[in-house]
Amino acid sequence: MTIFDDLAARALDTARARGATYADIRFEEGRSERIEIRNGAVATLADASTRGYGIRAFFDGAWGFAASADLTHDGIDRAAALAVAIARAGASIATRRFAQEPTDRFVDSFATPVTRDPATIGLGERVALLLDAERALHTTKAVSVGRAWTDLWRVEKCFYSTTGSRIEQTLLQTGSGISALATGDDDAQDRTYPGDVGLYQSGGWEIVEAAALRENAARIGEEATQLLDAPQCPSGEFDIVLGGSQVSLQIHESLGHAAELDRIMGWEANFSGTSFLSPDQLGTLRYGSKAVTIVIDNTLPRGLATVGYDDEGSPSVVADIVRDGTLVGFEMSRDTARTIGRTTNACVRAASWRDVPMIRMCNLNLLPGDVPFEGLFDGIADGVYMESNRSWSIDDHRLNFQFGCQIGWEIKAGKRGRMLKNPTYAGVTPQFWNACDLVADADSWLAWGTPNCGKGEPMQTGRTAQAASPARFRNVRVGVGYDA
Amino acid sequence: MHEEAREALAEKILDLAADLACEVSISSSQRGLTRFTHNAVHQNLASGDTSVRVRVVASGGRMGVAVTNDLGAPSLRAVVARAAEIARFAPGDPGAPPLARAAAALTPPGAFVAATADATPEHRASIVAAIVAEAERASLWAAGYVTTARDGITIVNSAGTRASFDGTSCGLNVKTNGPDATGFAECYGNDVAVLDGAACGARAVAKARAGEAPAAIDPGPSTVILEPAAIGELLSYLTDHFSAQSFVDGASFLSGALGQSFVGANVTLRDDYADPALCGMPFDYEGFPKARLPLLAAGVAANVVTDARYAIRLGGPNTGHGFPAPSGSGPEPTAVVVAGGEKSLEQLIAETANGILVSRFWYIRPVDARKTIVTGMTRDGTFAIRNGRLAGGVRNMRFNQSILDALAACEFASDAVRTSGYGYSMIVPAVKIEGFRFTSTTEF
Repeated sequence: MTIFDDLAARALDTARARGATYADIRFEEGRSERIEIRNGAVATLADASTRGYGIRAFFDGAWGFAASADLTHDGIDRAAALAVAIARAGASIATRRFAQEPTDRFVDSFATPVTRDPATIGLGERVALLLDAERALHTTKAVSVGRAWTDLWRVEKCFYSTTGSRIEQTLLQTGSGISALATGDDDAQDRTYPGDVGLYQSGGWEIVEAAALRENAARIGEEATQLLDAPQCPSGEFDIVLGGSQVSLQIHESLGHAAELDRIMGWEANFSGTSFLSPDQLGTLRYGSKAVTIVIDNTLPRGLATVGYDDEGSPSVVADIVRDGTLVGFEMSRDTARTIGRTTNACVRAASWRDVPMIRMCNLNLLPGDVPFEGLFDGIADGVYMESNRSWSIDDHRLNFQFGCQIGWEIKAGKRGRMLKNPTYAGVTPQFWNACDLVADADSWLAWGTPNCGKGEPMQTGRTAQAASPARFRNVRVGVGYDA
Repeated sequence: MHEEAREALAEKILDLAADLACEVSISSSQRGLTRFTHNAVHQNLASGDTSVRVRVVASGGRMGVAVTNDLGAPSLRAVVARAAEIARFAPGDPGAPPLARAAAALTPPGAFVAATADATPEHRASIVAAIVAEAERASLWAAGYVTTARDGITIVNSAGTRASFDGTSCGLNVKTNGPDATGFAECYGNDVAVLDGAACGARAVAKARAGEAPAAIDPGPSTVILEPAAIGELLSYLTDHFSAQSFVDGASFLSGALGQSFVGANVTLRDDYADPALCGMPFDYEGFPKARLPLLAAGVAANVVTDARYAIRLGGPNTGHGFPAPSGSGPEPTAVVVAGGEKSLEQLIAETANGILVSRFWYIRPVDARKTIVTGMTRDGTFAIRNGRLAGGVRNMRFNQSILDALAACEFASDAVRTSGYGYSMIVPAVKIEGFRFTSTTEF
């Protein structure tokens, strides 16, 4: 990435000459590959590369951002000048100032640890693995659609700032999954594995191998078929156990977004919404039970959002958000942290070179408890175990939620019983987390990645992780949407 | 990149592909967006890019795709070679359509507006300033965005397809915030002149004011009037059912049921890129002309949309609704237009003894896709209707509702407007629905 050193110097000089009191530039070269097999045929087999840069310029308390793929000197000059002009346009109508110039300086590099570089696996071998796994899904004639896929994302990025930062990073993220759609009379049932979107983590081909797609395909095809004839999940109030990937989704929707400080400050008000949280609740709000401790850890091995530095040039940290049930922190950028007298915890990301950096959920993990997974069923007289998300909806304050899963099983007298179709549950965020009385131990704890988190305008698709193990929740409203 | 430059570049890449069966798509975009909150700009950006997508179709339907935004000669040679290499490793696909020559498609007038393409950050800031002035006058704070964009695409293939389109788009979205109520307004178009910051700001302010001190009401089946943004988002979860892929998979309520009546005779949905309020792209991502066709005609399931693959599969016409091939998502309607009724929105309200007016929904998701049951929340302007008049704000509520059931008991207003959301733009009027299923409420 040293080829960008002189271009970066030129961009920052131009921005300063145009009046910016701070500027940074982030070069990115990205390469992505998606292979998707659908019913034995290629649905996607594409290798895409993109490169470009985004420049942030700071003028009179306002930010401007311009992105371009033009790597000529003229192109760099135009983009830097445009970033400053945009900042000036914003400052011209400003009645308040959101920002201050950063002062940090870091010179460093980071690379995702990789056990097996996907580039060393032939394309033919990778396609064959998916063809094999997809074929194995078709265990019955009811399976009308089988799918198997891999995603690979490699990005080289280099960040420079007028304070002298120079941060070089090589990031590799990998994911894979399978799904089966079974159709019958007026019914269609989906099963996906692993979790609800596949297994997405930072690292190389070892992530795909760990997913064991082929080994699980027949079970997934069978389950999709069995769901067609399974009884409907009952409606009422039940104790529930959620599988790890569903707990991950629950963290994502009902804490991850709620604790983004930009949302709390109203920066996402018109689109993603605001939050029921406020800074005066730090240290006092009982977000959940004592069993609930949730931390940001952007250093987590295998975490899909693990990086050395965020896209403001701040180093990754580990920080508490909920400690023993009490709300103690938010996900923050430099500007938002300053407003509550704190410092950033490096949660700023841009989806690509063309996107403006903003607060994103990163690795946000529910720490494991100390009971084995099977122990979660103990003491449940009449309950429901649910796995793999199918439907997720939550209000724009992140309070009233309703989620549905692909598959459920009744729990009777502490034992898992019959399969149930269309399980759903609903609640209100703090009441729900306060009803969590057990979290399974580290043996079932996994860094579940979410590769498709939407936020911002224009919409940016972020890659986040919520490591979690299965957990138990008491007296939850179940069967919503299917009750009379 | 302008049309002529894209076409010249595409021909150059086709030459590089020599004897390969090859499709080249070149997409270029320039976007500006000014985002504001608490009556001040907090995100303000511009970005531009041009990318080249090469698809090689080898014998037996084996396909490879490679994409780059590096337009230098070595990169262009490499992207063609990479697509060809991938095609060699791809499995055969007997259902894959060969590349074909698509007929020419005419761009609807009004699709490209120079003033939108050339809009400056200063112009966007002036629109924001007009919105903010309305909010400040009412002692509210506003959040939202103003965006302008130009997008161009050229698709050529070795079978003779030559298609190019340049279009512009613009949008304004504002949420006004008071102590206990919020309001909402939006405006979308192709011509930046339609973005009236003062008018949208005033509309959002009026909603926030009218919604103050919202009352709690018991959730349950209700008569609702959904304004265009609300019914638009609801219907966006129906459009996938009109995909030939969903139809074939058995995932659509239409599967095996074309020609059947599903909803009231007053419901007609069509897909029409050339509607004057949309002026969209006249061909799909395989270069085929888009058909203007009914989806639901007087309540009867009339058509599913196809691409090259599903036209062969169903033995019918290619309606030109494909995405870049090969595509896992299948064809989809992209320009839904809902026929209006005979009464104005005001008349529908006046005829409602007891109901709820919804400005906007949030976070709709399928609960049971096959049965078209979805859940979601109201937001930014939910009001009681009593004896034909708006009677104050009500707290937001969650619903669980079959879209088909809603359309079976509805009456559309006369005036349709353009509304947009994630992945859709459509033309839709407000609608009155009986028995809409609210299932829970909130504290705000």
